[in-house]
Amino acid sequence: MPLFVAGLSHRNAPVELRERLAVEEDKLRELLRDVTATGTVEEALILSTCNRVEVYGVAPAPGEARALAFRHLCQHRGVSPALVEPLLYTHLEEDAIRHAFRVASSLDSMMIGEPQILGQVKEAFALAQACATIGPSLHPLFTQAFAVAKRVRNETEIARHAVSVAFAAVELAKKIFAGLARKAVLLVGAGKMGELAARHLVEQGAFPVYVVNRTWARAQEMARALSGTALPWDELETALAGVDIVITSTGAAEPVITRAAVQRVTNGRRARPLFFIDIAVPRDVEAGVDSLGGVYRYDIDDLKQVVDANIRERHREAHRAEALVEREAGKFVARLRDVEVIPTIVSLRERLEEIRLGELRKALARLADAPPETRQALEALSSAIVNKILHAPITKLRESSRAGAHRTWLELVHELFGLTRK
Amino acid sequence: MHPTLLSLAIIAYVAATGLSLAYLVQREEWIHRLASLATIGGWLLHTGALLARGLQLGRPPLASLPEAVSVAVWVVVLLALWVERQTGVKVLSAFVLPVVLMFSMKASTTRSLPGLEPALGGAWLWVHIGLTLIGIAAFVLNFAGALMYLLQEHQLRLKRPGTLYYRLPALETLDRLTYRTLALGFPFLTIGILLGVLWAGPAWGSVLTFDPLALLSVVAWTIYAGTLAGRTAAGWHGRRAAYFAIVGFAALVLTLGAGLFLPGRHGS
Repeated sequence: MPLFVAGLSHRNAPVELRERLAVEEDKLRELLRDVTATGTVEEALILSTCNRVEVYGVAPAPGEARALAFRHLCQHRGVSPALVEPLLYTHLEEDAIRHAFRVASSLDSMMIGEPQILGQVKEAFALAQACATIGPSLHPLFTQAFAVAKRVRNETEIARHAVSVAFAAVELAKKIFAGLARKAVLLVGAGKMGELAARHLVEQGAFPVYVVNRTWARAQEMARALSGTALPWDELETALAGVDIVITSTGAAEPVITRAAVQRVTNGRRARPLFFIDIAVPRDVEAGVDSLGGVYRYDIDDLKQVVDANIRERHREAHRAEALVEREAGKFVARLRDVEVIPTIVSLRERLEEIRLGELRKALARLADAPPETRQALEALSSAIVNKILHAPITKLRESSRAGAHRTWLELVHELFGLTRK
Repeated sequence: MHPTLLSLAIIAYVAATGLSLAYLVQREEWIHRLASLATIGGWLLHTGALLARGLQLGRPPLASLPEAVSVAVWVVVLLALWVERQTGVKVLSAFVLPVVLMFSMKASTTRSLPGLEPALGGAWLWVHIGLTLIGIAAFVLNFAGALMYLLQEHQLRLKRPGTLYYRLPALETLDRLTYRTLALGFPFLTIGILLGVLWAGPAWGSVLTFDPLALLSVVAWTIYAGTLAGRTAAGWHGRRAAYFAIVGFAALVLTLGAGLFLPGRHGS
């Protein structure tokens, strides 16, 4: 019975439509039940995120199943099916398997390698399982999809490099310092993004954190939020001397950290690296500090450049991930086909064994006083003949299953040996 | 040197070098695993070659410079494998192996002389050579660390990450690596050279005989001594320390080159 996936995603459907089709959990249960109740769909899983709505299923007529599922969905969300229908894509069998693997591995995501999608697929699977709409086809498919996603994450770097400015800053810090544990951070200004970057650094073990702000109350508030220490504004330069990473995000029109100030400080630092993350616009740190030894300064544009490079890096890694998914999909399909030919091989064996035993019994009845050696010889002879005869068709069936042409061969074997369909 | 084993070792080192460089650009774990295997394989073959040679000669295979360079390569490879395991800097071999290869090719193509006259031998000579070699091996890693440091620092200053940015470890890690290898190599080189000087007096008749290798080695030693002093006393770090490591290594290469190409008492 054909496996299919039908749906729409960020690739072809506008966000206005996707958000209208997003379904909450309760309704998903209901939909799963409705879709499988009629018998049009045997197994079903619905994946509904802000970037895609997809129905995975097993149905004798996938086209009908798709129409049914989306009719229910549109009805529930008050969307005209005429709007949705032209946007739907359908993948069958092997393509559906590949699609499931790609989606779970985050290769079909808007931001390649984003980690949420795997969790969302797992939730959809758990929900479908709870509704008992997962059966012998979807169960192995999704278990394998999770395994493939894990391999893609571990063996490629599609998820490794930061794609947000705040995380890119943290990664840069890790390319300067061997580790962030016990690296002192100074946060200057109270911008949201600065706070976020500081938080990321703290999560990676950076300690202690100092906060400097023109407004004392705001500095204290921010220090509390980051479990840090607030310092008065005029101690900025003193603070610079003792820290490793400085994040600036003030609203000041002029740079608050000058080259001269940094130079005064670096003499006492014995060239311990000092890393400025300047998220403010206009910038807070004079660009001239770049030429000081051991001082690294990244402003918002530099960070964006790093993010762009990281995204390019992810896309490069995506090629490797695609190859991995392709191999895994191939293996999975081969295994499925093996499963399909096994019942026929078993009944073929049973059929010939039945004939052999019947004929053997007749022959032995005629040779009532034959010595045990003769009986054993007959037994061995008949077994050998049966095995020799079976060898070619079984090999052929196995091969045909791998080549994808097993259906006609199955028919043929059934016809030739008079096997009954189960 | 046992010719077949040594050739096989060099083939393995060539393969390891190629694979390590490939791993720099193509980050596939299996390439790194293969590179490590080739390195270990090459090192084992090399060990066999050195043992065979030692047994054949009935003395350590250290008496002529080509022999000694081959042993130095053997120490470098061992040290590099160990440091790579310790620091997790998987790209280290991509920077060490090309140097190793250059030396081992040179050492294997240079005709090996019968070695020093037995009268000049003696335990102190072997200690002199052995210690100096360990020092040199540490400085090969020192050079590799400095090179990686400068490349990574360049990437960070450019603010446009390239392939190497993703591949190379943190500046601090690399700076620590250059410092540690310097601190490790320097005492060995110092004692090695001192023993050489002490030994040269009675053996050559004078400490100040003109020998290109001996003189240049003092130049290299001075550079390293200066770097170490700068690092410990003046707190040199990062780029400056890295530049010095590179200059020091250039002097060292020149020293060995002089020994290999110019006539002198270290024999070529």
